[in-house]
Amino acid sequence: MSTWQDLVTAALIGTERSTVPAVAVPGSPIQAGPDDPAVLLLDRAALLTVARRGGRPADHAQPPPAAEPDSAPVVSAAAAGRLARMLGGQHPELLTEWLAAAVARGRRVPAQLLPALLDRARRMVPADTELRRLAAEAGGSRARWLAGLNPDWKFVLADTLGDDAWRRGTAVQRRGYLTALRGRDPGAARELIADGWAAAGPQERVMFVSAMARGLSLADEPLLEAALDDGNTSVRTMAADVLAALPESALARRMTVRAAGCLSLQQGHRGARLVACPPIQCDAGLRRDGITPGPGAAGGRPAGQANLLFEVLARTPLSTWTAQFGRPAEQILALPSGHWAAALFTGWARAAIAQRDQAWMAALINWALAGGLPGTPAGEQALRDLVRRADPAVLAAPGITVGTVPAERPAARDALTVLRFRCHMLKELTDDDSAR
Amino acid sequence: MAERWDRERVLALAPDAPSQRAAQSLASGRGAWAADGAAAGAAGPGVLWGECRGGAATPYRTVIDLSGPAYRCSCPSRKFPCKHVLALLLRWADGAVQHDDAAGAPGWAATWLAARATRAGRPPPGQAGKPKDPEAAARRAAVREARVASGLAELDRWLGDQARQGLAASQQAGYGHWDDIAARMIDAQAPGLAERLRALAAVPHSGAGWGGRLLEEYALLHLLAVACQRQAGLPPPLRETVRSRVGFALRQADVLAAGPPVRDQWRVLARRDLEQDRIRVRRTWLRGGQTGRDALVLSFAPAGQGLDDSLAVGAEADADLVFYPGAVPLRAVVLARYGPADGGADGGADGGPPAGGTIAGLLACYAAALAADPWLDSWPAVLDVTPARAPVPAVRDPDGDAAPLHPAAGDCWPLFALSGGRPVTVAGEWTPRGLWPLTAWDEGGRAVRL
Repeated sequence: MSTWQDLVTAALIGTERSTVPAVAVPGSPIQAGPDDPAVLLLDRAALLTVARRGGRPADHAQPPPAAEPDSAPVVSAAAAGRLARMLGGQHPELLTEWLAAAVARGRRVPAQLLPALLDRARRMVPADTELRRLAAEAGGSRARWLAGLNPDWKFVLADTLGDDAWRRGTAVQRRGYLTALRGRDPGAARELIADGWAAAGPQERVMFVSAMARGLSLADEPLLEAALDDGNTSVRTMAADVLAALPESALARRMTVRAAGCLSLQQGHRGARLVACPPIQCDAGLRRDGITPGPGAAGGRPAGQANLLFEVLARTPLSTWTAQFGRPAEQILALPSGHWAAALFTGWARAAIAQRDQAWMAALINWALAGGLPGTPAGEQALRDLVRRADPAVLAAPGITVGTVPAERPAARDALTVLRFRCHMLKELTDDDSAR
Repeated sequence: MAERWDRERVLALAPDAPSQRAAQSLASGRGAWAADGAAAGAAGPGVLWGECRGGAATPYRTVIDLSGPAYRCSCPSRKFPCKHVLALLLRWADGAVQHDDAAGAPGWAATWLAARATRAGRPPPGQAGKPKDPEAAARRAAVREARVASGLAELDRWLGDQARQGLAASQQAGYGHWDDIAARMIDAQAPGLAERLRALAAVPHSGAGWGGRLLEEYALLHLLAVACQRQAGLPPPLRETVRSRVGFALRQADVLAAGPPVRDQWRVLARRDLEQDRIRVRRTWLRGGQTGRDALVLSFAPAGQGLDDSLAVGAEADADLVFYPGAVPLRAVVLARYGPADGGADGGADGGPPAGGTIAGLLACYAAALAADPWLDSWPAVLDVTPARAPVPAVRDPDGDAAPLHPAAGDCWPLFALSGGRPVTVAGEWTPRGLWPLTAWDEGGRAVRL
C-alpha cells in the first residue's frame, strides 16, 4: 500500500504523467473511485490528509535540564509592566537604573522578559558592559540557564569566566572580566591594571581608567595621578574625569584653588551677586588636569573663557562653594551672575553628577524648572543629564508638578516627565505584590 | 468607579505606535486639557470626559464609557480610538483626572452617554422586523445559491487541472495564480473559499514539505467543493459547517435562533491577532468553568484601528455565549455579560492557571473534532508541558509525549524562559503544523501572553 509521500510525488508530477497510487485508511470503506485520475488523486489526498491529521502520533523530545531555583523574589507586577514598556522603547536609557535598583533590592526580572532584555543588552553598540552585567545579575539563575541554551547570550556567563577571558579574550571580554572583577574586588582589579599598564595600548589604557570609575577610592589615586602624565590625550582626559569624582584627591584640591579665584561673591548696592573671573589661558597645569581649550579659547575671547570656567567648575568639589559663600546650594544658585549663568549651571551640573551630590542635583533641577534654566543646548542637555541621575526621592520639591511648567518650555516638561517616570519606576521596585 | 487602569492597558488600545506617542505627549501637557472629570457611570464602571485644545478654534470634546470601553471624540481623526481618547485615559490612569460623582458629566457628554444607553437597550439590528419583501429575499437567496454552485464547479475543475498538470509548476507561479481563482470565487459570492485560496500563494515558499502542504490544502478544498454540491444530503450541523466555510454568513437572528445561550464563568485562555486583507482579526479562546466548553470569539477592525479589548487574557467573564451552528460548534458571540471581568494579564487577581491536559488527550480530542469537521485546522489546547529544543522546538508532557511548536511561531524564547526546564501550563492553538503557544502561567499563577 502506498504512503502519503507517494501521493505527493504523483501530485507534483501531475496525473497526466503519473499514475495515482492506491491508498487505504484502516476502517474506511473501499469505494470505487471516479474515472478522472485527477479527481481520484484529490479524493485520496483528502482522505489521507484528514486521517493523518487525526491519527497523528505523539513525537519525542528531550527538554533541557531544569534551571536552578532562584530564591530572589520577582519584582512587582507594576514594575514588570514598566520593564516590558521600556524594552518596547519607552525611556530605554533608564534600563540600567531599573536593573541596578532591582539588584539593590534583591529582586529579579520576570522570566518571560529575560529574552527581550538579554537581546537588548547584547545588541547595544558599543557593548554596554554595565547593562550586560546588571541584566545577568538581575536575571539570576534563569538568565544563566537561558545563556546555556542560546549562544547569543553567552555574555551572561562572563562573571564566571576564568582568567582565560583576561589573558586571551577579545577587547570586549577583557573589559567584561575587568569590570566584573572591579565590582567584586576593586584592589585586585587595580593590581591587574597596574601590571598590564606598560604593555597596554592607548585604547586599552582608556578602558583601564574608565573601569576604575566603579568602586573608586583614594587607593586608586596614585595610578590615576600618574595617568595624568600619559602621552595620550584621551587617557589624560579620562583620568582627570575619574579623579574629579574623588573630592579628596590632589586634583580636586588643585581645582579648588583655581576655582576659588574664578568665582567670588560681591556685595553691591542691589545686594549680593556672583562675579566670575575665569582663567585667561589654558596653561600646562590646566591641560595636565584634563582641561582642553575649547573653540575660541585662543586670545581669551568670552566663549573660550566661559568654556574654561565650565571645565574648572565641573572638576571642583561642590563643598568649595558652600564653604566659600557660606550658604546652601539653592541660595548660591539664586544669586545673579549675569551672562556667566549658563556656564555656571552646566559646570555645577557636571560636578554634581560626577560627585553624586544629591543636594546640589536637587537644587539645580528645582532652579532650572522654576525658570532659571539657560535656554542653550548645553543647558538643556545638562538638565537632561541631571534628571536621569538625581535621586527622585531627594526632589521633595513641593509645588513642582507638570502643571506648574509652562507648555512653551518643552525641555523643562520633558525633564519632569523623566523625573516622574523614575519616581514611579523606583517606587514600583520597592513595592511588594505579596502584600496585596 | 472602576479600578484605575494602568498605562499599559491604555496604550494597548492604541491602533499604532505613533498614536501611543502622540497620546503620551498630549496627556502630559496640563495646559491642553480643560474641564476634564470622571464619575461613576449609570450602570457600568464609570465615565470620563474632557475638552482638549487642538488645532481647531473650539476644543475637541472627548467622552469615554469605561464599561465597553466605548469612546467618542469630536476631532476629525480617522484613527480609533484617537489620541485624545488615549490621552484622557492616560491622565485618568495617572490619577490626574478629578472624580466628581456629585456633579456628573456635563451636558454634551451626558447626551452621548444617554444615546449609547438607549442603543444598548434596543434589540440588535437584524433581529427586529421581518424582511420587507420575503419573496424578493427568497429570489436573491436562490440567485446566490446558483452563483455559489457554479463557482464551486469551476473551483473543482481548477483543482483537477492543478492535479493533472502537477503542483511542481506552482513554485514558479506568482501570486496571480491564486489571486485569479480567488477573484472568481469572490464573483461567485464564496468569500470563504477566496480567503483560503489567497493564503495558498505563500505555501510554495514555506520550506521543505511545501508540496505536501499544498496538496493537503487542494484536497480539503476539493472535499469542501464536493460537500457543498451535495449539501442537501448532509446532516444539518455538517451542512452549516460546510456553508460557513464556503462563505455563507449567518444573520445574527439565525445565530441566536440556533440554540439557547450558554451561561458560564468563561475563562479567557488565549488571544491571537491576525491581519488579513487590511482587516484585523482578534481570535479569543474561552473555556467555560462549569460546562468545560471551548469557545472562539472573533472580533474585527479595519487595519490601523483598535480591537475589542473587553476579554483580557487570564480573566474570567460571567457571560451568556451563543454558539454558531455547526458540526463542531466552536465559534460564539457574547450575548450578555454579568458584572465586570475579574483580573487578567493586565493586572489584578488571577484564578491561577486552568487545568492543563496531556498531549495524548489533545490529539484524541482533535481527532474526534476532525471526524465531525474535517476542515478544522485550529483547536484550543491547554497543556501541562515542558518546552524542549531538541530535536525540534516542542513541548513534552509528563507521560513523555511531545508535540512540535508551530514553525512560524518563532523561537518562543519567552515560553522557554518562563518554564526554566520545568512544566508550565500553556494555552494555545493546536494546528496540523504544531502548537502555536499564546499564553503561559507563571509560578505566581498569573497569565503571561507570549
